[in-house]
Amino acid sequence: MQYLSGIDDHRTSTGLDNRKMLMWAFLGSDVMFFGTLIGTHLIYRNRNLSGPQEEILSIPITTISTFVLLMSSLAMVLALAGIQRGNMGQFRFWTAIVCIFGSIFIGFQMFEFTEFAAHYGLTPRTNLFGSTFLVMTGFHGTHVAVGILWLWSILFASYKGKIHQGNSLQVEIAGLYWHFVDIVWIVIFGVVYLIGAYGAEGRALEDAHHAARAVGIG
Amino acid sequence: MTTEHAHVEEHNHPGPRQYVIIGAILAVITLIEFGVFYLSIDPALMTWIILILSSSKFLLVVGYFMHLKFDDVRFSGLFFAPFLIMVSIAVVLMALFFNLTR
Repeated sequence: MQYLSGIDDHRTSTGLDNRKMLMWAFLGSDVMFFGTLIGTHLIYRNRNLSGPQEEILSIPITTISTFVLLMSSLAMVLALAGIQRGNMGQFRFWTAIVCIFGSIFIGFQMFEFTEFAAHYGLTPRTNLFGSTFLVMTGFHGTHVAVGILWLWSILFASYKGKIHQGNSLQVEIAGLYWHFVDIVWIVIFGVVYLIGAYGAEGRALEDAHHAARAVGIG
Repeated sequence: MTTEHAHVEEHNHPGPRQYVIIGAILAVITLIEFGVFYLSIDPALMTWIILILSSSKFLLVVGYFMHLKFDDVRFSGLFFAPFLIMVSIAVVLMALFFNLTR
């Protein structure tokens, strides 16, 4: 394919590369998609209090998985810096690290989903929290999985000589997608996990206080 | 994009050392978020602290790792225009439902 040879010209009348523009336009549309999912989750918070709620979220475990995903983003830019400088060894090493860290993140998410289902009986059918939370985080996990497959394919293509310094934009575009997945998680971790679970803990304390007062010990 | 153009863009981007510094800052902010979660403070204050810290991480990744700080401003427009629409809609809907922090 000609575009892989690095000699094709993808500039447009705007002076910008059309492939990069396409990726940014896609990310803009995906922002709306995730915005819908996160917004729906927040709006339906505490609307259906039957079954498990945000208090089941494990902040220590999710902090570790968040850290892993953040470091995968760092590995991604180091991989890009490597190929842009013609250092294929550095590019391959860091790309493999991105894939491994992404897989670890997916592993954390599978563990979380399994724990929720096994210990709390939380599934998408359980309540509004289960529906909105699992669809939102599951959709994000699917994005991570797609990113891992994409980066593995780029890594294998580099061994066949199809990815090299001359067409490093291929890596940069895959990197944009990967970083986008990271920033979506930054928002989910902050808004859904930290703020959500903190509010849930505060409500639990408040409920306990009210209950204690009701029985005359508060 | 020709190789020459790729080189021009590449020169505008930060180097590995700067990337590692940004990565370290992101890790520290995440650690602070984790610590703040275990403080006994007003939930509204906690919400604002987390929003500010998360926004800082968001902007660092978008600006430095995704290179929007260094690339053509029209890429920023393609991303931030729908982002602002999304945030506006979400904030208005949450204000209507009054349950951001409760």
